[in-house]
Amino acid sequence: MTKSIFRLFFCIALLAACLSSCSGDGKGQMEIKSEEDLSGLTISTSAGNYYDSKYSQREDITLFRVNSESDGAEAVRQGIADVFVTDEVGLPAEIRKQLGIKLAFIGQESFDVAFALQKGNDALREDLDRFLTEIKADGTLDAIISHWLEGTPAPEYPAPASAPKSGTLHCTTAMNMEPTCFLGEGDEWFGFDADILKRFAAWSGRDFEMHFQDLGSAIIALNTGKCDIVNACLYITEERQKSVDFSVPYYECHPGYFVLDKGKSARLSLGERLKMNLITEGRWKLIVNGLLETIKITLLAIILGTILGTGVCAMLRSRRKWMRSAARLYGAFIQGIPTLVLLLIMFYVVLAKSGLSGTVVAIISFALCFAWSAGSIFDSAISSVPKGQTEAGLSLGFTPLKTFTGIVFPQALRKGLPLYAGECVALLKSTSIVGYIAIQDLTRASDLIRSRTFDALIPLLIVTVLYFVLAWLIRLVLNLFLKK
Amino acid sequence: MISIKHLSKTFHNPDGSTLTVLKDVNCDIEKGEVISIIGPSGTGKSTLLRAINMLEPPTSGEIWVDGENIMAKGYHLDKMRRKMGMVFQSFNLFEHLSVLENITYAPVRLLKISESQAKEEAMELLKKVGLSQKADVFPDSLSGGQKQRVAIARALAMHPEVILFDEPTSALDPTMVGEVLSVMRQLAKEGLTMLIVTHEMRFARDISTRIFFMNEGIIYEDGTPEQIFEHPVHSATKAFVNRIQKLVYQIDNEDFDYLQIHTGLNQFCLKYNLSDKARTGYEIIQEMLFRHLKNVRPLTFRITYAELAGETALDFMVEGITESPLPHNEATQQLRSRVKDIIEEPTSRGFRIKILL
Repeated sequence: MTKSIFRLFFCIALLAACLSSCSGDGKGQMEIKSEEDLSGLTISTSAGNYYDSKYSQREDITLFRVNSESDGAEAVRQGIADVFVTDEVGLPAEIRKQLGIKLAFIGQESFDVAFALQKGNDALREDLDRFLTEIKADGTLDAIISHWLEGTPAPEYPAPASAPKSGTLHCTTAMNMEPTCFLGEGDEWFGFDADILKRFAAWSGRDFEMHFQDLGSAIIALNTGKCDIVNACLYITEERQKSVDFSVPYYECHPGYFVLDKGKSARLSLGERLKMNLITEGRWKLIVNGLLETIKITLLAIILGTILGTGVCAMLRSRRKWMRSAARLYGAFIQGIPTLVLLLIMFYVVLAKSGLSGTVVAIISFALCFAWSAGSIFDSAISSVPKGQTEAGLSLGFTPLKTFTGIVFPQALRKGLPLYAGECVALLKSTSIVGYIAIQDLTRASDLIRSRTFDALIPLLIVTVLYFVLAWLIRLVLNLFLKK
Repeated sequence: MISIKHLSKTFHNPDGSTLTVLKDVNCDIEKGEVISIIGPSGTGKSTLLRAINMLEPPTSGEIWVDGENIMAKGYHLDKMRRKMGMVFQSFNLFEHLSVLENITYAPVRLLKISESQAKEEAMELLKKVGLSQKADVFPDSLSGGQKQRVAIARALAMHPEVILFDEPTSALDPTMVGEVLSVMRQLAKEGLTMLIVTHEMRFARDISTRIFFMNEGIIYEDGTPEQIFEHPVHSATKAFVNRIQKLVYQIDNEDFDYLQIHTGLNQFCLKYNLSDKARTGYEIIQEMLFRHLKNVRPLTFRITYAELAGETALDFMVEGITESPLPHNEATQQLRSRVKDIIEEPTSRGFRIKILL
């Protein structure tokens, strides 16, 4: 036990050393005043947004595509990219100071920002358009936006419309950032995007729900009917209009070009960073909830997968050839498909209409993968017990069943359990992809915190330690079981 | 007690070919008999044994145990196997249990005797096979001979009416064969019914009340050890029981490969466990070829070992002469004192000097 604790500390120290050493000051101070100055530079931006398609056509610019605003800003801080381009309102002043990043200039272009809806969902779109037009006309929209940008008092909530709808408004945000849309205290969503949608839900008599996903997954969710509205300070572009419908615009946005503000990086102490990442807005609750979600998915998938795995093992050892072939075919299928792809197919295609929650779909998907590894481990563990053991049991007068349970199984268990424990740990780690179907597990919790605090080290370090401890616990429990 | 009628067993290989190992086996085994099954490799000795307790279900025929047809549908094999112990070539001790647990495991669960009584009996049995010191160790740490003795104790713990021994010493180092055979000798003396597949001819002759000589998938000859070993009826039996191993060299001139003979002798002695004879044999061959028979060429030189008689001999054969080529002097006199016997005899084609080691 002391050995594994020592190993744990060693790993943490290594990771910390690694991360602190590479947080350099980047390239020299640059004078970037307009689009012409961007030539020859590396620009970081969120994958799939307007700037991605715009600058990917310019050969004199290298693009560094990231998944979130925080990663984009981090790229500039680490010197991987020279300029980070996003909405002008994108980076809160506090974060700019913390990262040592400043706004170099504001672009000339202006964009209409709107909500995305599934193509052909005209009923909802007309509803939303009517609401947006109404609040634009009476000045509520301006008041909402200035509330989030300048801190003016928030306007009152609208009265429900004359003919209220029932049900839940499922929103997916591809952005977790002040002041647009962010997860704040009490696991609640804030920012003007969220505020407008919340008011729309209240106005139309629906319940409000919001999940966080990257833009690509969010659009898939929208098109497969998993959610009703996607928001992320989305610009209306022709390209996007081919695959989604947009509401009327609710905001006009300008691009902001951010660069390193040399020497202005505010060095926070470790205590301040821990406080920022864990205490502020009760962010530790995200971690705890994520941890519980990860444990739930892992444990239930292990249990279900082990039951299925026993079946797979029985098929592999069957006397009937077609049973063995079927089991092997299943194995070839499971081994040949990445777990993430299987998870997405299960969620968006196979079980899309089943009404099962993402957590249940994740448990089923992981159990299907685990069934094969567990089944083949059981099979080879049983095969590794010499045939003579069975013969000796039979020759003493035990029935074939008693021979298996009393003599073969205990020996197979000893041989198979270490491998089985390894597979359990592998399963635990592979659950970190469930964020793709909007489940807030441990990894996604760290993403959410990271995208708010723009601190790469602390949240990653915390989840690393937690995964490590979980893996260690799995092995510990299984070893205790073996000793018994 | 056990009656076998027209038993046959055919194996179907995955490639579609078939192999008939047992053709038509018939025999009756009575209580108290000690039967050794001998015969060349691949004639179905082990298959017969494994068919009797249905570990290898026969293709056709009948097996009756205590008046019941055990091949009948729905027959409870486990009940029959409780009174029919089995000792395997590869021991098959339960690796996850201690020596004592190996012995008590079945009686506690199948005979429903108390744990303490089973332990007591197991200790008694371990004492009998000379391993009471090893009660608490795991099979891993035992030698082959010790493992086989534990396996015998494990079979005895079920108080079987008969024990089947499937080549119990074939997987053992030559040095460990003796300890297992002496335990089996003791059991035979106590009147246990035993059915033994073995290659230990002397042992089979000493302890058996009956011998089955198996050949080509049937019991070729069945009789007392005396009948089988001294007066076999069939020529195949005769050839088998008098099994003689040979090594022959033709020596034509002075340039023969002496080193080849030397290595050959070493390997021969190693193979038939005759290491004690190797040194003397080597000295005598050298003395004969380079001194006493120095000028006698060509000659044929042969090393023979009769397994059954336990006789090792060196033959020097010279063609076309009628008198012994061995001179009678002080040196050859001294040679006689170092071996069991020297026989000088004329043969149909010449003269032979046979030296018994």
